[in-house]
Amino acid sequence: MIEMNNIQKSYGKQKVLNDINVKFPKGETTVIIGPSGSGKSTLLRSIDLLVRPDSGIIKFPDLEVDYSNPISKQKRSNLINKTSMVFQNWNLFPHLNVIDNITIAPINVQKVKKDVAIKKAYDLLRKVDLESYANRYPSELSGGQQQRISICRALAVQPEYILLDEPTSALDPELESQVLKLLKELGEQKQSIIMITHNMDFAKSAADNILFIEDGKVQFQGKKDEFFNNPNERIKEFLNGISII
Amino acid sequence: MPIIFGSITPDLKIVMSALPDLLMAMLKFTIPLALISFAIGLVIAILTALIKFLKPSENIFIKVPWNCLKAFANFYVWLFRSTPLLVQLFLIFFGLPSLNIQIPAFIAAVIGFSLNLGAYASETIKSALLSVPQDQWDAAYTLGFSTRQILIKIILPQATRIVLPPLSNEFIGLVKDTSLASTITIMEMFQLSQQMTSTNYKPLLMYSLVALLYAFLCSLLSLLQKYLEKRSSKFLNGGNN
Repeated sequence: MIEMNNIQKSYGKQKVLNDINVKFPKGETTVIIGPSGSGKSTLLRSIDLLVRPDSGIIKFPDLEVDYSNPISKQKRSNLINKTSMVFQNWNLFPHLNVIDNITIAPINVQKVKKDVAIKKAYDLLRKVDLESYANRYPSELSGGQQQRISICRALAVQPEYILLDEPTSALDPELESQVLKLLKELGEQKQSIIMITHNMDFAKSAADNILFIEDGKVQFQGKKDEFFNNPNERIKEFLNGISII
Repeated sequence: MPIIFGSITPDLKIVMSALPDLLMAMLKFTIPLALISFAIGLVIAILTALIKFLKPSENIFIKVPWNCLKAFANFYVWLFRSTPLLVQLFLIFFGLPSLNIQIPAFIAAVIGFSLNLGAYASETIKSALLSVPQDQWDAAYTLGFSTRQILIKIILPQATRIVLPPLSNEFIGLVKDTSLASTITIMEMFQLSQQMTSTNYKPLLMYSLVALLYAFLCSLLSLLQKYLEKRSSKFLNGGNN
């Protein structure tokens, strides 16, 4: 379980996160939704310290970090190692082939032996059906393939949670569904997932929990069924706003 | 050819007799000057670029000295980019002895060339570092890499591809600038050709010959550049390049 309490973040005068209190249960898929500019990305990136909130506390069962205090190197790396991020534009390392992209962190950060890391990387590639692309460079792969590789890269460091920031926003519908199917499978295997998405079909079918954020505040936090079957006025408005029917 | 050089046979004789000495001057002075100055200048440039590029941590014991270094780096780059190379060489070789600092001509030339190249190349390298998107840093941070690891394993390999063409420009420029060493008593190729001219009275022939020799050297460097560019861009076409 990740618990974040009283998270505040401002850019200049603009409050991006305004006293956020959230929980992300372990072994479940939490989908974060909300309008653009609501603070979803900032919140997600805070978990991995890509953004440092001004104040607030993040808690794991065995780790607690107060964002407003100086964070020691050790704590910082403990926190970063608990999670691993997947980006909208996948951000694979273009100068490394697929296998090296997946193994570079296990070998250099976790100090896993090279042959062990490679074997593990092939297991992951089999999972995403891209085993035959091991020696290709990212520039030779489609967006959907690159995103699946970047999910492998994130999983290779064995994080407790994977964090996904609109992983399918840059993909066409066919490639998008490849990636979503994979994520759904991972969720079914009890991988802890926190994911920002605008894809309501995915939220409906694969999420356990929904977190709805607007203007830097939590508008809804709870089970998926409650969100979709029993929405309050604002959620209804939002869901209708993004539907074309 | 006959129209330019008159009768070809005596000219050819002059060329053949001048060539060995000119080549010797190239091997003894022009090439070592360029290579040593480039190597030292490159180290200076990389350090200067990193000092300007990296942000220090918030720790005050790192931040204050780092900002002092940064100010010094800015001053250094300003100084060497805003004064002529020829003046810099004169200051080092003819000026410093007034302060009782005697530097042998070759070393004075190396100091001048490498400091000058370092100042220019540091900006080239900095811009190459900046051209690697922030996304690459984020992707590496989330995997747990330290800043040092990210620089070495992720950023530098990508920046190398971008830095090669402008850096080659600077190297080729340096090879030609070594002719300025003639003004501080170094008997490099150009100085030697001047001396030969004063005895054989063939300025057009001698200076054409020395120009050709410079062009030959620089062409070799262009070939090297092409090879290195191909190698460092392998990943763009999936190694089929």
